[in-house]
Amino acid sequence: MSNGEYNMKQKIKALGFCSALAVSSAQAEIVFNGFANIVGGQTTSSDETLYGYDDKFDVKNGSLFALQATSDLGDGLGVTAQIISRGNNEWEPEFEWAYVSYEVTDELKFLLGRQRIPTYMYSDFLDVSYAYPWITPPENLYSVPIDKIDGVGAIYSTSVGEFDSTVQFIYGSNSDDLGDLSAEFNDVMGLSVTVSRGWLTLRAGYFQADIVAGFGNDALSKSWAGAGYSDVASNLTAEDDRGKFSELGFQVDYENILLIGEYTKLTVDNTALADENNYYVLAGYRFDNILIHTTYGSKDGEQDNFIFGVPVTPELLPLITPTKAIIDDVQKETKYVTVGLRWDFHDSASLKFEYTHFSDHLNSAGDAGLFRTAIVTVF
Amino acid sequence: MKNIISLLLLTALTLSHACYADVSIVVNTANSSAISDTEISRLFLGKLKRFSGGESATPVNSKAGTAARADFEQKVLNKSSSQIKAYWSKRVFSGKGTPPTEVDNDAAVLAFVAANADAIGYVDAGSVDDTVKVVKTF
Repeated sequence: MSNGEYNMKQKIKALGFCSALAVSSAQAEIVFNGFANIVGGQTTSSDETLYGYDDKFDVKNGSLFALQATSDLGDGLGVTAQIISRGNNEWEPEFEWAYVSYEVTDELKFLLGRQRIPTYMYSDFLDVSYAYPWITPPENLYSVPIDKIDGVGAIYSTSVGEFDSTVQFIYGSNSDDLGDLSAEFNDVMGLSVTVSRGWLTLRAGYFQADIVAGFGNDALSKSWAGAGYSDVASNLTAEDDRGKFSELGFQVDYENILLIGEYTKLTVDNTALADENNYYVLAGYRFDNILIHTTYGSKDGEQDNFIFGVPVTPELLPLITPTKAIIDDVQKETKYVTVGLRWDFHDSASLKFEYTHFSDHLNSAGDAGLFRTAIVTVF
Repeated sequence: MKNIISLLLLTALTLSHACYADVSIVVNTANSSAISDTEISRLFLGKLKRFSGGESATPVNSKAGTAARADFEQKVLNKSSSQIKAYWSKRVFSGKGTPPTEVDNDAAVLAFVAANADAIGYVDAGSVDDTVKVVKTF
């Protein structure tokens, strides 16, 4: 980017900021809302780890505090920022949402800026544990590596008779680091459709993205390219490879009975990532202010043996061995069962207890039991 | 004996007030729209933004913890306070909507509805006066 262009951008930013300030000082009403989850967890034996927990009781890994500021600027224009401080990120505060919204009509609203991708049924409020039965929605399914974009979103809500429908479209990109690895997700786009009537909600979503990421395999990939196997080299990293994701979900909330299910399918061609098929179902029953629930879920990962046919020569063997390990590592046939209880002991807070048993049919070393408890609140 | 009867009556009254108080849905006296039960509930859940006549609607809530609010949520919305709070937290924290404006008590709801032509609120049936129009009592 040229210097002039940079300066111009800074000026536009400054102008935008000043005009936002001018408007808000004239109308000056900022509404604050927040939520917090304090989660403690521990696995049932010393050689087990699951979702970041081990056999030492921990209250940092799953805990978070969030604060949201919203200002209605009038004429359909609004500004919203949501900051979340997570224990597993050393309590570093981060902008989870930061957008300007514009309501064109009662039905149509645009969001510009940082926003969630409505990938799953609970993506929009993924961190608001108060809003759903579990302490967190099933981790094995809620697992695509990015959950937000910087870009544009449109929300179109209509009612036909007693059917309410919401269509949400997003387009943008995400260049946040994935843990220690850098990655880029470009041309992230897709839409979700939700239809509900009384106790029934049905949902479907499709999203795609062009992915650039090394997954820590860059050196190995270079060696394969050097040995003349460019196909194998390109299968180890993502160089603008397209990931495709689809989702189906339902929710039945009938009197005291609660049923929830989601199915997802993820494919990222020409990478070392597995094709994943994923589902869970939850059944719950409400006794006044106590909800008991149980969830069964399954996640399969499949990866073609993309070094099939490579001759096993002494020169290639040092490359074949680690590559085979990468392919084997992503093959999964996992199952999990969770039983839990939610007690709404206060108007703004709930107490939750959960036990999850996780097992991998292909690699029993990952099997684990996890007990968690949480106090979750909105304010 | 008299004392015992009045005490019993008083207890019965208090109990009935706590559990079975009637709640009246009120609108501005200038509002002539027909409003169905479903529409009342959809207006207060932010799923409907206009009256049947096409005028925009501004629902007003009584503060959390008031008897009218608890009765309204249970009888009209058919949900517990926690379920309603969870419903709004989904919408608030995902940019999909904000709950209705809140005012302190029945008197403030009546004042708000009397002053705003597009308002709709609810109060304890006993608090209703002629500054507002009653749509329905639950």
